[in-house]
Amino acid sequence: MKVGLPRALLFYYYDPLWQAFFHALDIETVTSGATTPHIVDNGVRNSVAEICVPIKIFCGHVVELLATDVDAVFIPRMITVEERKRFCPKFLGLPDMMRYTVPGLEGRLLDPDIQCRQESLADAQDYESLAKMLGKSGREVKRAFAVASEQWEVFRRYHRSGMNIDEAMAALNKKENPVYEPPKNEKRLTIAVLGYVYNIYDSFVGMDIIKKLRLMGADVVTFEMLDDGSVAEKLQRYSKTTPWTFTNKLLGAGYDFFEDPKIDGMIHVTAFGCGPDSMLGRLLEFIAVDHGKPFMTIRVDEHTGEAHLSTRVEAFTDMLRRKKFPVR
Amino acid sequence: MPQKPTQGTFDLATKYSPEFLCFPFKCLMGTYIEALEAGAEAIVTTGGDDNCRAGFYAEVHRRILASLGYNVQFFVIESLFKHPRDFIGSIRDLKGKYSWWHALGTIHFCYDLIAAMDRIQERIRILRAHEKNKGDFTRAWRDIEELFDTCYDRQDVRETEKKAWKILHSVPVELWDPKQAMRIGIVGEIYVTMEGHANQEIEETLAAMGVEVVNSQYVSHWLKQRLQILPWRKSHMEKIIAKAKPYLKLDLGGHEQENIAHMIDYWEKGLDGVIHLMPFACMPELVTQSIIPRISKDLGMPIVSLALDEQRGTANIQTRLEAFLDLAMGKKIRRAGVPGLAAR
Repeated sequence: MKVGLPRALLFYYYDPLWQAFFHALDIETVTSGATTPHIVDNGVRNSVAEICVPIKIFCGHVVELLATDVDAVFIPRMITVEERKRFCPKFLGLPDMMRYTVPGLEGRLLDPDIQCRQESLADAQDYESLAKMLGKSGREVKRAFAVASEQWEVFRRYHRSGMNIDEAMAALNKKENPVYEPPKNEKRLTIAVLGYVYNIYDSFVGMDIIKKLRLMGADVVTFEMLDDGSVAEKLQRYSKTTPWTFTNKLLGAGYDFFEDPKIDGMIHVTAFGCGPDSMLGRLLEFIAVDHGKPFMTIRVDEHTGEAHLSTRVEAFTDMLRRKKFPVR
Repeated sequence: MPQKPTQGTFDLATKYSPEFLCFPFKCLMGTYIEALEAGAEAIVTTGGDDNCRAGFYAEVHRRILASLGYNVQFFVIESLFKHPRDFIGSIRDLKGKYSWWHALGTIHFCYDLIAAMDRIQERIRILRAHEKNKGDFTRAWRDIEELFDTCYDRQDVRETEKKAWKILHSVPVELWDPKQAMRIGIVGEIYVTMEGHANQEIEETLAAMGVEVVNSQYVSHWLKQRLQILPWRKSHMEKIIAKAKPYLKLDLGGHEQENIAHMIDYWEKGLDGVIHLMPFACMPELVTQSIIPRISKDLGMPIVSLALDEQRGTANIQTRLEAFLDLAMGKKIRRAGVPGLAAR
């Protein structure tokens, strides 16, 4: 059996886990390539007009995989990975949506329900239905989950040591990580980049914003470098937090970054049409005002022009630098 | 009691709401500001912790209002079953010095009032298509609303409902053959399907084209589902929800499963088509919208999905409705073979 994994949405967060999982079960996997304009076009063609860009891109990757010889495309229904928080409705309905919008997917869809209380999926309960889909025994699946979540914990440890997702993935695959040499600049900045993994690390949509910032002499921190415990602690003070797992992580990280004196400014990268971000963005604006820190929102979509992003990022870093190192 | 939303409400709303938030949020934003300007001292709203944005409205509203200088008290009523303590707590705060008995009586009274009005509205939606003088039913409904406004206990509600039915029956209607009338179901996000001003009075537009309307969303149904304590009593919705399962496995936190179930249910009841209304960028309904082409194909029923927002141009909806009704009419003629219809 050959399973296709779309390189979109939570791929950037969970890929090491699923790779290890299928490897442990001796199932071959195929990952779709990096997002290209062609993939985006296919996605736009096969999804409803108003839906957010990440879903359209996901759709494009599914189309891409269906054109290969994979037996099934893996689209887990991510329901919950922590207590009392769930994913955005579009994740919950993702397999259903794909099944009925992408022609040819019906019958080649692998859509297990993921309902856990731990992010590492170590306490996954529903082995049997997935085992049936894969033609394995429940026991094998259980063992594979154990191996996979261990591998994923390693991946998370890399994050907490200060690597971003691209670097952690390379480290995990024992690949030579391109040594990042900060440009010689006395006036260094630290900028927090907040955004979902599928917006920031998809270099088509996110346009390598992290690299751009680094080239301008800024150190970049992201939410996955924070410890989950400390993020949760930050949010405990508030009576009600957002209902979505990742939005909540970003909100907690936002509080953390704004309170952190080392951080000079924050950039929120959001995709066009993102529902949770419409609320998160406004909340972050309020927190930024409370803390008196510079804050910028960048809305990305399927357009390919990079000039707007470069201009805004340059202007933002220039502004921060003037603020931090005043010229007399 | 807040006023009905107007153009002014929407202007205020779009000015102070985040751009990509959904339309109901913006409408509420505008309505809150208008109510506060008119002297309201507190806001009562619903919470929830499903994954629709509506559950988190109050938090964002409160902060935006605070940033505008309105420090107003919010009573956010959470789900009775998921957060019984919060639910009771907010009722306790609300009732102030009144007794629990009084509070329960008030809740019961409100429910009866809403349910009575919903029953009448349900009938108007069917009858309006056949009114002799255009606008009669809209005027009658306005009178009925005023009558209900003067109700103070459940006895009043019962008497007023009797009066209301009398008013309704006195409105002149043309005789019609029930077989010939087009009947269209409306499903969708609860706010835009119910608030006439938000959906550009789609029901009146349809009635003017001679179409009977069945709406799937009523406040009383929603309340009943949320406050139903007797487990053996099943609502109509719980009975039909299984029909949606093959299309959408999970409840996404909005009304998407219910809407799909309603579409199938309406088809089985012989309705001629369904209009799906959603606010622009509504998260759960976007999933429904994605699945609709397939449902429509499987059932062979015309379904149109309209996204609504603060743009008030009517030509778009008018054109799409006309095209949709032509399609549905063609289907009806072919299905039933009613000869008289072709001439209309």
